[in-house]
Amino acid sequence: MDLTPALGPRPPASETGESGLTLDEVRQVLDAETIWCPEPSVRAEWVVAADLMSDVLICQAPGRLLLTSLVNQQAIRTAAIMDFAGVVFVRGKSPRADVVELAQEKRVPVFVTALPTFEAAGVLYAALRARTGTRDGTSCDG
Amino acid sequence: MDDRQFVRTYVVTGGDFQGGGRMSTDIKDTLKDLGFPPALIRRVAIAAYEAEMNVVMYARSATVTLRVTPDCIGLEVIDQGSGIPDVPLAMQEGYSTATAEMREMGFGAGMGLPNIKRNADEFVIASEVGRGTDLAIRVRVH
Repeated sequence: MDLTPALGPRPPASETGESGLTLDEVRQVLDAETIWCPEPSVRAEWVVAADLMSDVLICQAPGRLLLTSLVNQQAIRTAAIMDFAGVVFVRGKSPRADVVELAQEKRVPVFVTALPTFEAAGVLYAALRARTGTRDGTSCDG
Repeated sequence: MDDRQFVRTYVVTGGDFQGGGRMSTDIKDTLKDLGFPPALIRRVAIAAYEAEMNVVMYARSATVTLRVTPDCIGLEVIDQGSGIPDVPLAMQEGYSTATAEMREMGFGAGMGLPNIKRNADEFVIASEVGRGTDLAIRVRVH
C-alpha cells in the first residue's frame, strides 16, 4: 500500500510551532471511523502500537496515540492513565457499548480503522515524520 | 512539619478483569483534584494500575491504602493470594507466570513489578507463599 503521507509535505515543527497530528488528521490518514471524539483538534505527538498494555505502561510520555487490536476497557483505562491523546482500534474491530461509555466517561477519543496494525503504524509513522521531521526522544524507552 | 494527610482505602477483587483499573483511575482523579502536577500523578497512577492488575490476575483480593501528605504520596497494597515464591525472579523484566487469558486481557508481559519500582522513589515488597504479598511504594512530591 502507498505509505506516502496523505497530508502532503508540511514545514517541520520547529518552523510552525506545531508538532504531531491532530486527531482529525489521524482519522483522515487512516480512513478511520470516529467512535467518539469531542475535540478533533487535539494533537497526537507520537504513536504506541501494542496489544499488551503492560508494554504501553512503560512509556512515560503523554500525548501519544494508542494503536491496538485489544478492544476492551483496559485499552481505554491505559490510555486514560497515560494521558494519551486517543485510541485507534485496528482491523475494523468496533468497541462494545461498555467500552465506548468508559471512553466517554474518561474523555478518551476512540477511532476504528480497517487497516491492520502494521499498515496503520506505517501510515501514521510516515505522516508524523513528514510533519515533525527527524526528532530524537520518540522511542518508548520509559 | 505539615501534618495534613489524606487517606483513602480501596478493596480490589481478584479475577475482576472488567473492573480492573477502576481504583487506579479514581486515584488519578483524586490526585488531580488535590492539585498535584500531571507528571507526578501519572507516575502514581501507572504504579497503582500495575499493582491493581497484579491483584486482579494473581490474588483473591487486596486492600489498598492511598496516603497523601504535602511531601509524599504513598500506596500500600496488601493482598490475600498465593504469594510470590521467588520475589527477585518476579522483579526481572519479562519474567511472567501469566496465563493466556491474562494476556488476552492485555496484561502479563512480566513488566508489572519492575514498572512499579521504576515509578516509585521507595519500593518495598514482601511475600509469603500461601498468604499473599505486601507492597508499599512512596513517591516524593518534591
